[in-house]
Amino acid sequence: MMSDWFKTKKPHKLPTRAQPATDAPAPRKYDAVVVGAGPAGASAAYFMARDGLDVLLLERGPFPGAKTCGGAAIIAEQAHELFPNFWEEFSYERIVTRLDYWWLSEDSAVTAGFTSSRLSAAPYNRLSVKRKNLYTWLAAKAVAAGATLLLGHHVAGVLLDGYQAVGVRVAPPQSTDYLADLVILADGANSLLAERAGLIPPVTAANLSLYAKETIALPPATIEERFCLPPGQGAAIGLIGYPTAGYNGTGSIHTFHDSINISAGMSVSAYAAGGFSPGDLLERIKKHPRIQPLLDGGVTTEYGAAMIPEGGYHAIPPLVHPGLLIAGDAASLVNGIHGINLAMWSGFYAAKAAFEAKKNRDFSIRKLSLYRTLLDESFILQNMRTNAKAATLQRDRPYLFDLYSRLANEAAYQMVRAYPMPVKDKRKFIWRKVTSLQPVGKIAADIWQVLKVVKG
Amino acid sequence: MSKLAAKIALVEFRPDETWQHVVIADQEKCRRCPDKNCLRVCPSGVFAWDNIPGHPVLVSYRQCIECGACRLACPEGAVEFSYPHGGYGVVFHQG
Repeated sequence: MMSDWFKTKKPHKLPTRAQPATDAPAPRKYDAVVVGAGPAGASAAYFMARDGLDVLLLERGPFPGAKTCGGAAIIAEQAHELFPNFWEEFSYERIVTRLDYWWLSEDSAVTAGFTSSRLSAAPYNRLSVKRKNLYTWLAAKAVAAGATLLLGHHVAGVLLDGYQAVGVRVAPPQSTDYLADLVILADGANSLLAERAGLIPPVTAANLSLYAKETIALPPATIEERFCLPPGQGAAIGLIGYPTAGYNGTGSIHTFHDSINISAGMSVSAYAAGGFSPGDLLERIKKHPRIQPLLDGGVTTEYGAAMIPEGGYHAIPPLVHPGLLIAGDAASLVNGIHGINLAMWSGFYAAKAAFEAKKNRDFSIRKLSLYRTLLDESFILQNMRTNAKAATLQRDRPYLFDLYSRLANEAAYQMVRAYPMPVKDKRKFIWRKVTSLQPVGKIAADIWQVLKVVKG
Repeated sequence: MSKLAAKIALVEFRPDETWQHVVIADQEKCRRCPDKNCLRVCPSGVFAWDNIPGHPVLVSYRQCIECGACRLACPEGAVEFSYPHGGYGVVFHQG
């Protein structure tokens, strides 16, 4: 039965709406205009529309999800809180029941993983998703709740009256202004709107990571065989060390129904320092002797790249402005590998604040600060605070991922070898090998720093 | 599949023939730039230079995948990056 799960899923069709002509009369004023129909923007639009607000959702792509790529898996339990049983409403790829971390050296891998059929029952742990399917479903929900969705509308700027945001200006070909009491910016990692309006400091090459991805088509049965999966179930594998060529960064493998998404990335400043491109990293991973067999015979169907904010808690810009809120990636709300869920929740909280502001007809910073308060009290910012020092740790110790992956692989290799020598001598030999890569004092210092970050 | 051009050929683009969304307004900055990070950081090879000092850096904006990394990687602040107008540019389908 599980093998046929995907047949029962019906693809969601987005209602098409007539696009306004450029010479149409000035549009009416909305309660809220949301820029970007990703998980943050569409969630905000849905919850505001559900609460009776008049909402306009603007998306520059021809459909939601057209402008982003990479990964991805959604944490089902967190999304379930906002959208109960959401997995029944859209076409996800696989139920993730295998979570692995692989620390790679150039020819080997030390792996840690967990796999359990307990993860295959609803509410699932993680579901691998194609962004197009997830975002399109979410935007359709917002529309069903009463929001107006306009596709192919690129917002070029925020309209300000003094410091108060009063609407947005759409770039050609529409060249229209839309007025609203509240503007919610959910325009992604590279939020040019907030930056150009002078609301946030410019994002930096150190805080933004660039990931390249490749989608490689393989028959479902082959994927299940290679990743040891029951039909319909999937794997998510984090790749550390070798993939990012000596810099701190990560790679990942996500299994879709009939394809594999493989990606790798690190901070933009690391590429600048290293002198290579994200595509080079991908080629590096694909040729690795532990990974090449997983992809063998597959056909690349799409290549792409996207930026993710990875500056952590301290990189979060001011999120509340007069008549304007910032949510999702634009707000730098990404915690490790969690981004989609944080985006959805930030959209939810923004909608709550919007509702209160509308009720009181007060769109000042003071009223809208409820958004920041809700975020602060939620798991989103609490978790980000817990991990706050991780970004600094990675910046201060740029060798961390690569060196310790190599060290683990070297130690493991020597351990599995059976030498014609007494065990006691072998232990000394391994110790000498390991400490020849990094002096013992430095190892101790690194472990201490990592523990301090993990403990929060 | 290792050549970048072959990979780029797999991506759907709807280029805007009337407006270029990523430009280098001041080539003088590029001439004196020793790093030219744009040539390497860009995942889709938008920037090209023929390695002849004094020659400009060319911008093939039609194959831009809109990540925006170029503007952050440029040490001179010479890359003016914006998103394409509505309905134009890259279209991802596979997640």
